[in-house]
This record gives sequence, structure tokens and C-alpha cells, in this order.
Amino acid sequence: MTEEKTEGKKAGYDISSILHEMREEYWQGLTEVEEGQEERLECVTFVLGGETYAFETVYASEVIRVPKLVRVPKVQEIIVGVFNLRGEITAALDIRPFLGLPQPPLTATGRIIVVKSDTFATGLLTEKVEGVSALSLNSFEPVVKSLAGAQREYIRGQLNVDGNLIMLLDIKKLMAAPEIVVEHK
Amino acid sequence: MPDKSKYLDIFLKEAEEHLAALQKGLLILERNPETPALIHDLLRSAHTLKGSARMLGFDGISAIAHKMEDLLLGMEEGRKAPDTGNIDLLLQGSDTIARITGALARGEESPVDLEKFLTAFERGECQVYAVKELPKPEEALGDTIRAKVKTLDSVVNLIGEMIISRKRFEEKVSYLKGLCQSADTPLPVDSLQEFQRGLEADVLYLDYLIQELHGEAIALRMLPLSTITEGFTRMVRDQAKAQGKEVKLEVVGGTIEVDRVLLEILKPMLLHILTNAVDHGIEPPDERLSRGKPSQGTVRITARHEGSSVRIDIRDDGRGMDPERIKQAALRKGVIEKEEAELLRGNEALYLVLRPGFSTSEIVTDLSGRGVGMEVVEKNLEKVKGNLLLKSEVGSFSEITLHLPLTLSVIEALMISCCGECYALPLTYVQETIKIRDEDITTVGGKEVISLRGATIPLVSLSTLLGLPEKKTLLESGKIAAAVLKLRDQSLACAIDTNHGSSEIVVKGLGGQLKSVEYVSGATILGDGAPALILNVPDIFANAEGVGTVGFRKAFAESEAARLKGNILVVDDSITTRTMERSILIAHGYQVEVAISGEDALGKVAVARFDLVVSDIEMPGMDGFELTKKLRAMDEYREVPVVIVSSRSRDEDKRRAIEAGAQAYIVKGSFDQGALLDTVEALIG
Repeated sequence: MTEEKTEGKKAGYDISSILHEMREEYWQGLTEVEEGQEERLECVTFVLGGETYAFETVYASEVIRVPKLVRVPKVQEIIVGVFNLRGEITAALDIRPFLGLPQPPLTATGRIIVVKSDTFATGLLTEKVEGVSALSLNSFEPVVKSLAGAQREYIRGQLNVDGNLIMLLDIKKLMAAPEIVVEHK
Repeated sequence: MPDKSKYLDIFLKEAEEHLAALQKGLLILERNPETPALIHDLLRSAHTLKGSARMLGFDGISAIAHKMEDLLLGMEEGRKAPDTGNIDLLLQGSDTIARITGALARGEESPVDLEKFLTAFERGECQVYAVKELPKPEEALGDTIRAKVKTLDSVVNLIGEMIISRKRFEEKVSYLKGLCQSADTPLPVDSLQEFQRGLEADVLYLDYLIQELHGEAIALRMLPLSTITEGFTRMVRDQAKAQGKEVKLEVVGGTIEVDRVLLEILKPMLLHILTNAVDHGIEPPDERLSRGKPSQGTVRITARHEGSSVRIDIRDDGRGMDPERIKQAALRKGVIEKEEAELLRGNEALYLVLRPGFSTSEIVTDLSGRGVGMEVVEKNLEKVKGNLLLKSEVGSFSEITLHLPLTLSVIEALMISCCGECYALPLTYVQETIKIRDEDITTVGGKEVISLRGATIPLVSLSTLLGLPEKKTLLESGKIAAAVLKLRDQSLACAIDTNHGSSEIVVKGLGGQLKSVEYVSGATILGDGAPALILNVPDIFANAEGVGTVGFRKAFAESEAARLKGNILVVDDSITTRTMERSILIAHGYQVEVAISGEDALGKVAVARFDLVVSDIEMPGMDGFELTKKLRAMDEYREVPVVIVSSRSRDEDKRRAIEAGAQAYIVKGSFDQGALLDTVEALIG
């Protein structure tokens, strides 16, 4: 087996990854069947201000460790700094105060989710990224009335997944918000 | 009929070249009518244009080109004279074709009434179709490039070399792997040294390749200055003619290559400066003659390299700029206040023309003096981090000097730190870096200024300007590090934390999210992969007013007071006691150093001068008594007071302390900060 594997590698493929892909395809097939009865949304879930948040995976391009952030003078609080994303200068956003959430300091589990809009890529600071999962929309509830301002604006509602509340972020709207863009003068 | 769109681009490029050749050639012909070879070249251009246009079914273009060809043929055969009238007609023809191609490029309908034009051309009338604006088809200077095959070959070769170089690195990796897996432990030093040497050679070679490739890639972005100046000859001629003036434009150094993006930014600037020179600078012929000048005025553009930048001088031999008149005009228009005007000396007033809302022309002409003034120039200069100087002598000349970087993608910058962040200051704005001493600072109207070689320069703190947490950092030497920035003829000393020297940096934009940020013009990536912001110096100048008071003198005064109050050495093996004593003394303005043992203390007194020593008795190794005795035996410390602080309260210990030469004895049990402070103050004040 080991020999076979090395040989496979030499030829440019790897048998285990092919098997993995086949398995993935199989499971995907099953999910598609399931979708007939239950609507699911593939989301990346993460922690902000101690609460669990989520948005559709299609908007997230990658998850990275928090690199060195360089402060930018005279910009709004939400833009914490810029970092180097493979040669592109990218802004890092802390949307927690924007959403009225507390800001516990980031620890070793802190991650940046890189989100792409039509015109730019930006990094969302999170306390932790939990993973990617297909969330069932059956338990979806529209946003609670008691939430105020920006919270109502950018939170679509919440999902109850196994007793845990997951807030669904309107990432598309957030990325189009003028508050996250800097245009002095 | 082949698919037109497929060939349109090619045709437009070709037409552009022929039109440029026609323009240029016709202007030369006007000056030297007896050049049959030139007429023939022009004839060929018109002919080719006609043919290509006909192939693609652009009948309008081919009809005009045909008429031009006829006229040129007439000239060649001596039937028609190459006089101003006919040349104007031909120029008119090429302009009209340019209008049509311009429309084609934009996918619009042709704006030309062909029949009318052809009839007028036939009659030799051109004033009817006087061209008001020249919609240049070469607007897309920055989109596509024409590269020399040689350059491309060289780029491809270099990339090939880099691929080989990568191979070498891969070999090195597998060699190192083999070495690590080998049974020999420890690793054979010889092999490692050989490996290191090999790796160093590879890195050097890679470095060379990257530099070469970078150079070639930059060269691909470069175009000669003449690309934009060629059109100017015509513009200056037409404009002067319309005003009854005679002006010739001379371009020196048109072959100097500049980044294409820079050229695009430079073009409107030069256009504006030239328009001003012809409109306001050059006098009408009779006025010139009465002043003893030749009737024809000269505007000269001179370009040359200066270090890693390009210097462009635009000089006209016209009436010059009068600082007094400019000042008056600025006052009248409310551009400046009376107080400010009085402070302006000599040529400083010239720079008022750069202010928003300034335009010297008393009569508003259709070409310049529209109130936009030199603002355009100023705005564009900011974009490219350039600098501008004005020089003039009334009645004889005015000269505008532009300093521009060669390329926008790599610049020389001074790297500095401020409040823990690293920043880049484009070197074109940096006059020098200095260290400021207390006595260099004086205040003017409550604002701190420094005096540098006789000039008074405002001092500001970069961290205050950028809104960073304020911290007045004095260097070890007790001085302030500062970068002296220059913008036009102004200077500004900007206090920074550390100066890391200058280096070449790659300029990056801030992306679509940070569209424009005050104080920041871009960013670069440092060696460790972290970004550093490139500061926008014009913004710093614009905001420097009003933040003048920075309290550096206070910082100096505090550090001076601490120095005067005394330098104390605290010796104790207990960290709690040490820290406590140290903070009490520091809080009261003393400078304090600590030692953790008698031996440590002796080491410290050997290299620094202390005014007082506070010591414990019981310490591992040398005790406080012995330390005191040793200090007393040293020449420099014979008279320096020693205060013993101990938990022992027996008289015996106090006696021994005095015998050893201590001046005071404080019992730790009764220890409070009052006792220590009173004692220290009593001893060294």
C-alpha cells in the first residue's frame, strides 16, 4: 500500500485524496436528495462577542490567523488596521462595536475571515471560527424586535441549532455598507 | 467582408501612428517648405490611411485621406504650394480623421458632416471647421503597451533562469533532508558549511535575477516624454496664432523615459502650464519688440534625470511673474489675509498662484484663466508625490520646475517609526533628518519652532498629527529625532521616534475599501511581511498649522530637572524593596538605577556617576557595610552620600554603618516614604 501510494504521488495523484473526493461526491449526492424536504444553508460559523454568528460560505474566501495589523490614522473605529494578504493591502474590520457587541480581547483562537465583495476583499476579525456546516433553515426566526439600529440592519435572524442560537449575518449588506469604506474629502 | 471588430483595434493603432506622423511632419514642413522627401513621407501616410480605411469600409476616413493625398501630390508635383493655408488645410484633415477614429474607438457615431467637410476642403476653406478641441484617439496611453521584442526576450530569459534557480533550491532542500536523516550525530560541520556556502551563492544569484527582472518589468512601463510633448507643438502654435502672438515650443530631453501612468498625469499639468505661458507669459510681438526682445517668444521644456527622479523645467521668455501684483490679486480675491501677505518675502508670493481660486489673468480668455488656475497642477503633483518650484524675473522670464519620480511603482523613501508603527516618507519630500537639542527650540507665538541654518522652521509631532497616543520620546542622547520635510518652498520639522534610513520600496495601493485616507497615500510591504503606510506629506503640511504647540520643551525641561535632582543607585537583594524605593524616588523626580547585590553595585558605579547610594545591609556576597567601605575608598565616591536602609534596628549596626562611612541609617520597620525622601532631600536636595 505504502509503495503504491508513493508511486501514485510520483505520477501526480494521490489515491487517498481521490477516495476522499469520491466520498465527498457521494455525501453531496445524499444531501441534495435531502434538500427536497429540508432547506439547508451552507454557512461558516464563528464567535463574536461570545455569541455564535454565521453567514453563507460563498462569501468567505479564506480563514487566516490574525497577522500583524497596522493601524491607519484617522479612520473609523470599525477599521482596526491593515494587513498583508499575499501582497494585497487589506483592511481588518472589528464589527463587534458596530453590532453593539462586547469586545473581549482576541486570544490564540482569534481568526480573520476574508470576505470578498465586488470591489474589494476585507478581513473580519472573529474570536473563533467554529467551522463550516449546512444549517437547517427550518428553525429560522426573523430578527428579534428588541435589537436596535445596526443590529437589526445587518442581522437577518437567528437559527436554533440543537439548542444553540446562531445569528445569521447579512454579509452582503454589510459589505455594501458605507460605514466600512474610507473616503476622506 | 471580414468581421470588422476583429481588425478595428489594429486599424485604430495604425491610424494613430499615421495621424501622429502627419501632424508632426506637417508642422516641420511649415517651417521648412523645401523638403520634397518629407512631402513624400506625408503622402505615403495619407495613402496608407486611405487604403486601410477602405479595406474596413470606413468610407469617411478614406475619402478625407484621399483629398489629403491629392493635395500632397499637388505639392510634390509643384502644382500646389506648401504654404500655411494648405498646411492648415491638411492639419484640418488629419484632425477630422482623428475625430472619426476617436468616435470609432468609443463605439460612437462619426461626429463629422462628411459632405460639408469635403466641399469646404475642396474650396480651401478651413476656418469653418476650426477645431475647438482635439479628441485624441491616443487617450488609452496606459491600457496597452508596445514592447520591444528584445525586452520581452530578456524577460522570458530571466524567468527561465529563475526556474532553473528554483530547481537549485529544490536540490538544496533534498540535500539538507538527506543530511538530517543521515545516521551521523552530531551533523558533520564540513557538509553544513559547504551547504551554507552553496545556499549563499544561490540566494545571491536569485537576488541578481530578481533585480534584473524588476528592471526589465519597470522598463516595460516606460515611455519617452516625447509621447506627450509631440502634440504640444501644434497646440502652442494654434493657441499663439489665435491671440496674434508668435511662440515656438522647444523640447529638450524628449527621449527621457518615464512611467506611462506618470505621463498621463503629467500631460494635463504640462498642458496647463503651457497654456498659461502662451496666454499670460509671452507678450504680443510689438510689445516684445519695444522691450528689445525678438518678436517670437520661446517656451522651452527641458527634461533631465536627477538622481532617481526626473526634473522638468518649463521656461518662457515672456513678461515674468510679478510677486507684488500676485500678492495684490490674492488679497483682492480673498485668497490670503493681509497679515499673511505682509509676511511673504520675495518669490514666496509666487506660490500664491497655486492656491485654490487664484487666477492672475485680468481678462478671461477662452483657453485659460477659467479660475481653475494652477490647482490642476498642484492636485496632480500630489498624486505622483512630486514637487514644484517657481522662479521668475519680471520682464524677462518665468520658470516652473517639476520634480517627479521616474516610476510610481518603486520609490525611495525614508523609513521611520512613530508610536510603535513603521512609516515611509517619500524621499522627494525629505530635506534631511536631524537631532534636535533643547537649545534649538524656541517659541513663536506659543508655537514651538527650531532654527536650522538661519531659517525658522515649525516643529510638529508626527504622533499628534496622526492622532496616535502622544508620547514625547527623547533619544538616549537626550535629543529629539526629526525629519525635515519640504513641500515647494516650505519646510517643516516633524518629530519622530526613530529614523531607520532610506530604502527603495514597492508602492501598493490601499485597495477599494480604503479609497482615500487622509495622511496616507499608499503602503508598502516590509521585509518581515508586515505592511507599512506611506505618508502623504502634502496632508501633513496642510494640517501642520494649529498643532504647533507640542511641548517638547517641557519634555526637555522634565528630563533636565530629573538630571539636576540627582541620580540615585538603589542596592537591595529584595525585589520588593528595590522596586518600592525606586518608584518613590522616581515619583519625586530623581533618576534611579538599581543593583541587586554589592558586586552589581560596584559594577554600576564604575560606569556611571551617581549622586547618592541607597543600600541594604544583608545581601548575598558583599554586604552593605563592605560596599560602603569600598565606595569610600574610591576617589569619585569618597564624598558621595550613602544611605543604609535595613531591618536591623540595633545600635551596634547603626554604629558600624557610620564607621563604614554611611551618612544616614533608616530602619525598615519604621520605613515610610517620608523618611527616605526627607533623608535623600537633606543629603542631595
